[in-house]
Order: sequence, then C-alpha cells, then structure tokens
Amino acid sequence: MPHVAANDQELHFQLLGERGEGDTPCVFAHGLLIDNLSSWYFGAAPVVATAREAICYDLRGHGLSSHAAEGYDVATGAADLVALLDALELNEVDLAGQSFGALIALRVALDHPDRVRRIVLCEAPLPPSRLEEMAGVLRADPGELLAMLPDSLQEAFTSGKRRALKAARRLERLLTETSLVADLQAEGDLPDEVLQGVKQQTLLLYGEASSCRGVGDRLAELIPNARLEALDGGHYLAAERAKDVGALILEFLDG
Amino acid sequence: MTTLTTISGLIQEVIGEDWDLEEEITLETTFSEDLELESIEFVALAEKMQNTFGDDVDFVNWLSEKELDEVIDLKVGDVVEFIDACRT
Repeated sequence: MPHVAANDQELHFQLLGERGEGDTPCVFAHGLLIDNLSSWYFGAAPVVATAREAICYDLRGHGLSSHAAEGYDVATGAADLVALLDALELNEVDLAGQSFGALIALRVALDHPDRVRRIVLCEAPLPPSRLEEMAGVLRADPGELLAMLPDSLQEAFTSGKRRALKAARRLERLLTETSLVADLQAEGDLPDEVLQGVKQQTLLLYGEASSCRGVGDRLAELIPNARLEALDGGHYLAAERAKDVGALILEFLDG
Repeated sequence: MTTLTTISGLIQEVIGEDWDLEEEITLETTFSEDLELESIEFVALAEKMQNTFGDDVDFVNWLSEKELDEVIDLKVGDVVEFIDACRT
C-alpha cells in the first residue's frame, strides 16, 4: 500500500488513471469518522480518472493512514494535504472534497491560490458543528451518529460480524481516544469576506435532503466564480450519488 | 496456479490476522456477506490484484461501472471470470 510521509503522518494514497501532458491531477479528500478514501476510490474518482489522473488519500486517523491522536481541525488537515502535494511533487492540482474534506480543500485553495486550479466542494458544512448529522459526534455517541446514516451505509456498522465490529472499533477510537470531537466543536465559521476572496472556479455539490443544503446557497452567493448543483440525496452525497457526482466533476474540470 | 488460488491468497493477505474463515474460498464465496470485506480492504485487494496480474486488469474501472448493489453481491467467481477474460 503506497504511503507518503507528510506532516509527521504516514498518509495512505492511491493513484487512478494517467496524467496526460498538461493535465492537472485531481486530489480527492473524504469526510470524517465513517469515511475513508474508498468512497471516492470506488465512486466518483474512477469516473474522473477516465480523462485525468485522480489521487485519493486517507485523512490522518482514517483508512490506512496513521492513527494520530490529534490534529482533526481544518488547519491541520490542510497542512497534511499541502505536505502530501509536496511529497508527491504536485505543483498544481484540482481539489475535490466531501464534507470535512471539502473544508480542507477550501482552506488549501484559499491559502495556496498558486497551487490550486479549481475546487469541488461536495456538502461542505459551515460551520461543521452546526450540521445535524454531527450531533451524535459532538456528544461522542456512536449510536446516534449511526442512526443518522442512510441505510446503505448503516448496514456496514450493524451486522454484528467482523466488518461491523472493526468499523465500530475504529469509530469508537476516533470519538474517544483522539481530539476529534473537541477539534470539531472548536471549528469556526468562515466569514463572508473570506469566502468572497476564493479565487478558483468552484463547483458546489449539495444534497437536497441534506441538513447543510443552505450552506450551498450561501457559498454560491459569496464565492465569486461558483456554480451550485443540488442533487437528490443527503449529506453523504459523494457515496450516495457517486456516478453522477463523478460526471459533474469531470465536466467541471474539463470545461 | 489457478486464478482462484492466487486470489484466495491475496484475500487472506488483506484480511490478515482477522482471518477466521473455516471454509475454503470458492467461486461462490461473496466478498460482502461471506468474507465481510471492508471497503478499505477492497481497495487493498484491488491494488494487490493490479500488482499481481498487471495493468491489463483494470479492476477499479471494472468496478466503477457497476452499481452499488452489484458490488455488494460480487462473488469471488465474478472477479476470477473478469481477470481470466482480461488475460486471454
């Protein structure tokens, strides 16, 4: 499994597709807790990889990356991503993020306009602590968190067998043995004037049934060069509507 | 070595110390229900298959064309069939 040393972490990543001459690779960041790179890797990323290189990576503490005790704030996540870009010698990229991964992509885009060409923000929650789906997380209650998941995702945690036990153990560790809950609670909103300063062309993808659907409208209004697409679905849009999300991203990056 | 034997070995590597399946892996074994493979383990398996069978076997692309319920119902035999088809 390819890992790269970045910001004192061992980050697991996977490359899909090939980089053509002059193409900008697209890096995909997933969401927190129940997520890892597989939701992009088996979802939208291979669709994008039909035309350009796609790079999926596991956030710290997730998937096959190292198990950090702290650093689950957006700033550290952004520093991890920049360190990953450095380590992989990627000078200019497009970034796509789901939920918390979208906040990381946005942060990197704001801080490094020279390195980020376009961004795709899928279900970016601002601020994350206001997201209904996060209520169980903020109370460190795995049961409540799982009850908010769509059926297709819930199944993976509730069968009582090997896979579900592993997933539940991982969730428990992140909620009770790391700074994740405190980091999320402390994560603030981004002021309007910061969002007005986003330089990149931005694709906003939101689920009509998601509790952060309204954030999509706010970002569409404030980010100067943004396009909003609202799809049938909830917060876990990149997994729920993977193929459609992939097609929209591909069209946006090629346009 | 048959494709099935090779894939069985790769699956055991991925599952590692958690391995407690008493029955042998057959063409009828399902990844989700029988093997309880996690999606991140499936990523690791895809990589091992790519390394073992070469770039002609574009497993991720094959998988990306399937709907979610088709992926969940995948049998080891489906993958064997796909790999054999790629190599002939």
